[in-house]
Order: sequence, then structure tokens, then C-alpha cells
Amino acid sequence: MDTRTLPTLPGIVTKLNSLADNEKSSIQEMARLVSSDQVLSARILRLANSPSYGFYRVATISNAMILLGVDVVKSLILSSSIFEIMEKSALGLWEHSLGAGVAANIIAKRLSLPDCEEIATAALLHDIGKVIVRLKLQDEYDVLLAKTAESGSTLHELEREMLGTDHSEVGGWLGKNWFLPEKLVVPITFHHNVAGAFCHQVKTAVVHFADVLIKASGFGFSGDPFVPALQPVAWNMLGMTEPLLAEIVEELEEKLVDTKNFSLEIQSTDETKT
Amino acid sequence: MYSHDPGFGSTLEIRLQSRAYQVLTHHKLAQILGFIYSDPPDLIIIDISSPNKEIKSLIQSLKSDIYFSAIPVIGLISASDPDQFPWDDYQLDDFVFLPIKYSELFIRIELSIRRIQRVFDNNPLTRLPGNTSVQNAIADAIGKPMGVCYLDINNFKPYNDTYGFTRGDEVLRMLGRLMSNAVKEAGGGFAGHIGGDDFVFIVPLERAETVCSTIIDNFTTIALDLFDDGDRDNGYYVALNRKGQQERFPLLSIAISIVPTDQAKIHHCGKVVEMAAELKIIAKKSGKSCYVLDKRKR
Repeated sequence: MDTRTLPTLPGIVTKLNSLADNEKSSIQEMARLVSSDQVLSARILRLANSPSYGFYRVATISNAMILLGVDVVKSLILSSSIFEIMEKSALGLWEHSLGAGVAANIIAKRLSLPDCEEIATAALLHDIGKVIVRLKLQDEYDVLLAKTAESGSTLHELEREMLGTDHSEVGGWLGKNWFLPEKLVVPITFHHNVAGAFCHQVKTAVVHFADVLIKASGFGFSGDPFVPALQPVAWNMLGMTEPLLAEIVEELEEKLVDTKNFSLEIQSTDETKT
Repeated sequence: MYSHDPGFGSTLEIRLQSRAYQVLTHHKLAQILGFIYSDPPDLIIIDISSPNKEIKSLIQSLKSDIYFSAIPVIGLISASDPDQFPWDDYQLDDFVFLPIKYSELFIRIELSIRRIQRVFDNNPLTRLPGNTSVQNAIADAIGKPMGVCYLDINNFKPYNDTYGFTRGDEVLRMLGRLMSNAVKEAGGGFAGHIGGDDFVFIVPLERAETVCSTIIDNFTTIALDLFDDGDRDNGYYVALNRKGQQERFPLLSIAISIVPTDQAKIHHCGKVVEMAAELKIIAKKSGKSCYVLDKRKR
């Protein structure tokens, strides 16, 4: 299956191009922008982990960009911008992923976990499988979406029922195929089944929490309106408490205002461009 | 292999395959760089019968990246007026005239591949230029306002012993790559790998300290990823020291000594190496990543 051309928000690419053209812009600025887009992030991590470079555990965008270098990242952005323009209807999923990354970062920081950026990256990528399913099984996916609305089943359940697989499995498969490190692949694969994670359990639990919290906040749209329950195993693993969760939710609500503004800014970049 | 003409492309592909080459043919320029970056080929053949800006910038991108510049590029060009061909704009390693003579193409391919094996001084691990090129680059720098920067990793041996050579090699590849990126992105210079954990880069003296800081910052960021979670959280790892006793070692750091080459007392490479060795002792004292610039009277 050809996964080289995955849809990206044109606004991101426009902004990155202008950053790339400006000699003064730093790799950190580019990294921040790339980190807001799941597809671009996945592509850059794929490249940094590709066997020809011989790096095996690049799990954050900033590390990937330090190692690849500005020029390689620029060419990647330029060569990916021409063919793949994301449909408007996919915007909800893009926002959901962006929001999950934001939420995971807050949770990881509150729990004083050492690798916030890795965890945020895993959360950003947690639904990458949906991008693939949507792209490769366009008709089936439309049926799925329509069905969730009327049947009351979650997208995840219906995927299992109708496709015999689901977006977390597809995302995990993609990650393995792209040689992404386990600390990203495991949380992607098990974000709906934290108990199934054979390693990186804490990271998986945070990504699960981030997914649930962002759904509950009503930010973005992941494919169905249902908010799954927080899995007790994840709750225990993180040593979560109700007051702490309340603090996290409050901070998330605040951050989502900025996140929404960022999303609107990117969308308006699209419109001025087209 | 790239040709804008699918018919010609597929004929060429079959002829190459008949010689047992693995061939990947592209008709769209925009995708090629991505393919090359993710899976570098041994050789690239580009049909330039109708030259354009995209082909030019494709070759330029490859040739400006030390990691990919070694891949030979053979251009297929029109035989009608070779004097008119903009040779300066297209950094080709070899060419074959169109209409194509396959026997000639095959020989050119073989020669290109052999040539690269013969002249390759580059370190196979990092693909950076090796010792011979380093010596030449230092000789070139002497008398000019340049900084020859010697870089090595503090306590690399215990890391290698504890985490194994595969991980150790990965550290060297990462350091080599981020060093050459930093040199390139600061405006260019020389980046080489003497061997083991010894690297050298040469940049204009006025930029030397900035480049050192970038390399140190980036290495410090990356270094966290080079350890297992437990060691990273502790901020140290336990390994055997030279006496064979267990000792706590801090996470990996680097030391850089900058030798300005516009000093009167420097006439040859040996002097640069000697001064770098003196500076290194100072740079290593802190046990943290740092650089030391020789500020003695010039």
C-alpha cells in the first residue's frame, strides 16, 4: 500500500514554506509548526528512523529535525505539498489530534513525567490510523461515519465489526512499517486498550487519558460524538486523583482557547492562499 | 532513474534490469527527493534532454548534502550541442548522450560505482570525510581567520561497554549528522570524522562559537534519547571504569577545542593538533559539554 501521499493541511505547508524561505527562522520554530500536524510529524519521524540513516529511536520532532537538518526537512515539505490537500471534512480529526497532543502534554507535565514531548507526539499521532482508513477505504469510511451517528455504536466498535480491524491497529501497523520507535507505536496501538500495552504502559495511559479528555471537551471531531470511559487500569497506573484530574481539565480548557485560535489561523491561511 | 518520457523510461528500466540492476523509475520530479532520502540508491540516472529548474534544484539539493553528495549522478543529455549544455548548473558525475548507446551507459554505470569505492575516504559509519580530507582541510585553513574545532565525547568508552557497539555507533552517527547540519546551516564549512569519537569541523572564526553552542545544545537534547528510561531519569549510568570498578558516569557530553588558524606560530597541521590537545584538557575538566577557544596572544 502506498502511504507516501497522506493529506496535509495546506495552511501548515504554506506557513512552513515561508519559515523555510526565511533564513533567520530557527529549527525550533519549524519543529513547533510541524508538531501541530499529525501527518507531517509522522512523515518526518519516518524519515529520521529510516534504516538508511542508522538512527533507531527518534521519537520527537525536535530530535528528528536536528538530525535531518533544515534542508532535508524543507525538501520534504516542498515535495509533499503539491499532491495532497486535506479535505475540509477532515479538519475535525486534525483538531482532535492536535488537541490530544496538547492534553497529553498537560497531563505528562502535571505528573512530572520525564518525556513530555515524546508522549505529546504519541498523542498527536494516536489516530493516524484513521487518516489511513479514511484514505484507503473512502466509501467504507463514509458508511462507518453515517452508521455511528444512527446506531449509537462507537467508531472503534463499528470498525472492528465492519472492517475486521480498527484504526489503532492500522496506526500501529503503519508505525511499525515506518520504523517508528516502540514508545510511539505502543501508545498508538493500545490507546483504546491500555491493559494490552506490553511496555510503555505509562505513556499509553497518558495518551488514552488525552484522547478521552479531548473528546469530553468537545474540541475537534474524532469521528463519533461518544466519550469513552476512562479505563481504571490507566487511572491506577498514573496514580490519578479526582482533584488532580479537575486541575488538568481546567488547564486544558484554558489551553484550548489558544489551540482553537491557532487552528483558525491555519485555516485562514488556507483561504487566503486558495 | 528519472525520465519525463514514460516510454523511454520503461525501455531503459528493462535494459537495466536485464543487467541485474534494481531499478526504480520516476516520472514525477516532486517525489524523487523523498524516495532518495528514505532509501538512498547506489546511483542516479536523470534524463536531462529538456533541462529545467526542478531538475537543477533536485541535483543541487543532493550535492549540497554531504550524506547524499557521494551518490553518483549520470545525466542523459542531448548530443546535438553539448557545448551549450549548462555544465556549471548541473553537478553531474558523468553523462551519456541521447539517443542512448546502451553499451556505453552500462560502462559508465560500472565506472561510476567503482570510482566511488576507490576514492572514498569518507568514514563508512558517518559518511563524513575521513582523515586524509581532514588533513587537507586543516592545511587549507592555516593562515586564514578560521577556527579548527576538535570535538570528542566525554566518557564514550563506558557508554560503549554498557550499551553495546550498535548503540555506540548510533551515537556517533547522530553526532556526525547534527555536527554537519550545524556547520551547513550556519553558512557552511568543513565537517569531518577522524575516527572513533573524534570529529573535526572548520568554520570561519567569527562563527565558531555560535556553531559550537548549537552543536552542544542539539547534542544535549539528543543525548537524553540515547539512554534507557531509568538511567536518563537518574541523570547517570553505572559502568566499569578503567580500573574495572563500578562507577557512576554522567550522561554523555561533548568537549570542543577551537584552534584559530590565523596565529603566527601555526605553520602546519601538527601544531594545530598539539594546541587542540592542550585545550582539550581544559575542556574536559568540567565534565559537562563545553567548548574552549584558544585566546592566547596571536
